[in-house]
Amino acid sequence: MAVRPGLRAEPRFFAAPLLSLIAASCLAAAAESGQIERGRDLVHAGGCISCHTGDRPDATPLAGGRRLETPFGIFYSPNLRPDRETGTGGWTDRDFDAALRQGRAPDGSLYYPVFPYPAYAGMSDRDVSAIAAYLRSLPPVHNPVPPHELPWYLRWRQVMLGWNLLWFHPQPFQADQARDAEWNRGAYLVRHLGHCGECHTPRNFLGARDDSRELAGNPDGPDDEEIPGIRQDREGGIGQWTIDDILLFLEMGMLPDGDFAGSSMSEVIDDNTSQLTAADRRAIAVYLQSLAPLHSP
Amino acid sequence: MHHRSLSILLTIATLAFASTSFSATAPADAIKYRKAVMSAMAAHTGAFSLINFGRVEHQDHLRAHVEALAAMGTEVKVLFPAGTDTGNTDALPLIWQEQDKFGQMVTAVEKSTAELRDAVVAGDKAATMKAFKAVGEACKGCHDRYRKEKK
Repeated sequence: MAVRPGLRAEPRFFAAPLLSLIAASCLAAAAESGQIERGRDLVHAGGCISCHTGDRPDATPLAGGRRLETPFGIFYSPNLRPDRETGTGGWTDRDFDAALRQGRAPDGSLYYPVFPYPAYAGMSDRDVSAIAAYLRSLPPVHNPVPPHELPWYLRWRQVMLGWNLLWFHPQPFQADQARDAEWNRGAYLVRHLGHCGECHTPRNFLGARDDSRELAGNPDGPDDEEIPGIRQDREGGIGQWTIDDILLFLEMGMLPDGDFAGSSMSEVIDDNTSQLTAADRRAIAVYLQSLAPLHSP
Repeated sequence: MHHRSLSILLTIATLAFASTSFSATAPADAIKYRKAVMSAMAAHTGAFSLINFGRVEHQDHLRAHVEALAAMGTEVKVLFPAGTDTGNTDALPLIWQEQDKFGQMVTAVEKSTAELRDAVVAGDKAATMKAFKAVGEACKGCHDRYRKEKK
């Protein structure tokens, strides 16, 4: 077997691996920047900004400090910027994974389910890494936030061990093979990343989502708001809405009667649904329209 | 000279009469009127979007809706007189506590609805979309800050 002369020529012999090495590192860099971009989109889709941004109009996005009143006490959202002292500085992918999908902080303490880890638990590995990469890429901001104001029996975080044992059964998202890709994308966005049910699904007396009434509305929503149902329902809910009605609402906040939503959904529209791709908004609409009718209270 | 003082007197009398009749508007009626105009604006916005996004025909109606919307856009600034912060209203007292900021947001409604009308009249689709987005942001911005949400 003859050795091809080309490989003998020394400059080429060395140049080829060198070039491929450069190419590979360029590719890695490209993948890295693509991942950060994807992470930014996921942070919008995940609704992180609405809660993890302070209440003042000039608050830095994702630096935390938003006051959230719930039936279980007043919570202040933590700083997600990569500041070592007050934020997520130094967090590894594993730390982000434990936080997002298991509700556990790097020091082992447990989060309260006001942080939607029960919904995020279905997130894909790839999405968790991309979110971590994006948050790491942000300029750090030093922003200590006040401690939560909770009743005595909730102050000790490890009490959530019991809650998790009862209500938290993390399952990765399983695509429904009987449905098409658009429906499955919608299901992933609504049930996991976008965590619509955290507000639109009623909760039981211990604050766990009552998934038998998924998205049927929550009379005791956060910030003392009554959250409407978004199931198909001839009388309430969004039973009279067409896909186009849902799309226009998610993109601009216009209700079918021409009114514009205020309230907490207005923030969700600004920071989350209006930032999605049109295809993702359509997937959400398709998924919502596919759900069986369920009467809102 | 006589003519002039007479006309001044008449002016004063007219102004006095006008202001009496104005202050005679019951706050409850001012609130009803505010709601009527707001509902009309929403209705024209809804009708506009159904035509504009091709969900119904009636292209020839498009102009009437944006003209009405722009006309009412100029009315918003007088819909919140003092004394209409209580009663059957979802308007929050914050409106009367920060009149400058509120005024700026109302101006955004007036400006964006005028731009929407101009874009539709010019037949400029891209400008129409841009202006409609601005109308939505103006409405949503005000409702978010100054309207009590239904509980």
